[in-house]
Amino acid sequence: MSQQPVIVLVDDEEMVITSIRAYLALETEYTVHGFTAPLEAVKFLRGHEVDVVISDFLMPRMNGLELLAAAKDRQPEAARVLLTGHADKQSAIQAINQVGLFQFLEKPWDNAQLLLVINSALERTRLVRDLARKIAELDAAHSTIKEAQRRLIRAFL
Amino acid sequence: MEPAQRIAELETALATAERQLIESYPMASLGRLLAGIVHEINTPIGSIVSNNEVSARSLEMVRAKLRESAETGTPPPPKVLDVLDTLVSLSAVDRMACDRILSVIRGLKTHSRLGESDVRAASLPELIVGALKLACSEYKRRVKVETDFAALPDVECYPSQLSQVLLNLIVNAAQAIEGEGVIRLSTRQAGGMAEIEIADTGRGMTPEQQAKVFQQGFTTKPPGLGTGLGLSISHDIVVNQHKGSIEFESEPGKGTVFRIRVPFTQPKP
Repeated sequence: MSQQPVIVLVDDEEMVITSIRAYLALETEYTVHGFTAPLEAVKFLRGHEVDVVISDFLMPRMNGLELLAAAKDRQPEAARVLLTGHADKQSAIQAINQVGLFQFLEKPWDNAQLLLVINSALERTRLVRDLARKIAELDAAHSTIKEAQRRLIRAFL
Repeated sequence: MEPAQRIAELETALATAERQLIESYPMASLGRLLAGIVHEINTPIGSIVSNNEVSARSLEMVRAKLRESAETGTPPPPKVLDVLDTLVSLSAVDRMACDRILSVIRGLKTHSRLGESDVRAASLPELIVGALKLACSEYKRRVKVETDFAALPDVECYPSQLSQVLLNLIVNAAQAIEGEGVIRLSTRQAGGMAEIEIADTGRGMTPEQQAKVFQQGFTTKPPGLGTGLGLSISHDIVVNQHKGSIEFESEPGKGTVFRIRVPFTQPKP
């Protein structure tokens, strides 16, 4: 995880971004990148490492599920959260199944709950990245052992 | 009981049921839009609640800093100005959020004055904007809405009834558009009457469908979406209640245009 956690917030309503940004600025040191256009957010995700992606559901041109699917594709370790006023069971199930959603939050949101979810999401992202790093280390160690084994066998033959 | 008498009784019962269905239609149609209306209000409420919490805590922080600077005789830190700037922007957001909620509530108020039996002068653009707000979940983020309102005097009408007609036609237009499209709403003076035109770029109707458009029970919508009452009730409201006219043109694959004309004044009872 980068020095300060990086959060991408996507909602076609500017007021939601302003409110959540102000709250997170008051409570945390997190860097928040807000986007009212989902396609702009996808572009941003191509070139920047982020830790959590929070998205609205109903947006023009690209809905929240499509956006989170794109986020999963580009940065699979970043936790994905859907924050929506369109809280029907069907979209919740779809979100969980299709994009490996971390949490489904309903509008109007509760700041304390939102922060709790963001902090848990950050922890999850950190753990997933740690796990990936450990697996890479294990793979490297495994390769070293294999190589040593090969050299050993060669020495005896 | 004689068969003729039984038939007469059944006919009376059917007429009563039909009247009750028509009377309950406006609230039922609103019920179908309720989820969208709740969604429309949820976002601004979320912002207001969040901003309130941030504002209260920020003001506490500003007070503490100002008190500290007064006690020590030093100027307040620059962070205080940053916090005040944030508070100014949050209060602007709150104003916008309240306006959004108010416009939905105004639309609901006009629409729900079902018992209002008096004719009164109403602004057509206001009725149209109110109906658009109530129907917004049907078209928002998918369909572009264009309006062109001519400067017209207010129209004497039953506002809640006319609002019902507008709501029916806007919802129909939105549901006729699969994916993206455009709904154009305009008003003008035509033939000494006020004319409202609602045009969509939706799927349009075949000549067979057009022939049945104002018939009770006829719908082109899938089960669960249409009751087949909207246009027959709209026809009754415009033609019988307001002494106006309602016409349409439709072309399959191109869209539909509805034109309502209502007189500027209603006859005195």
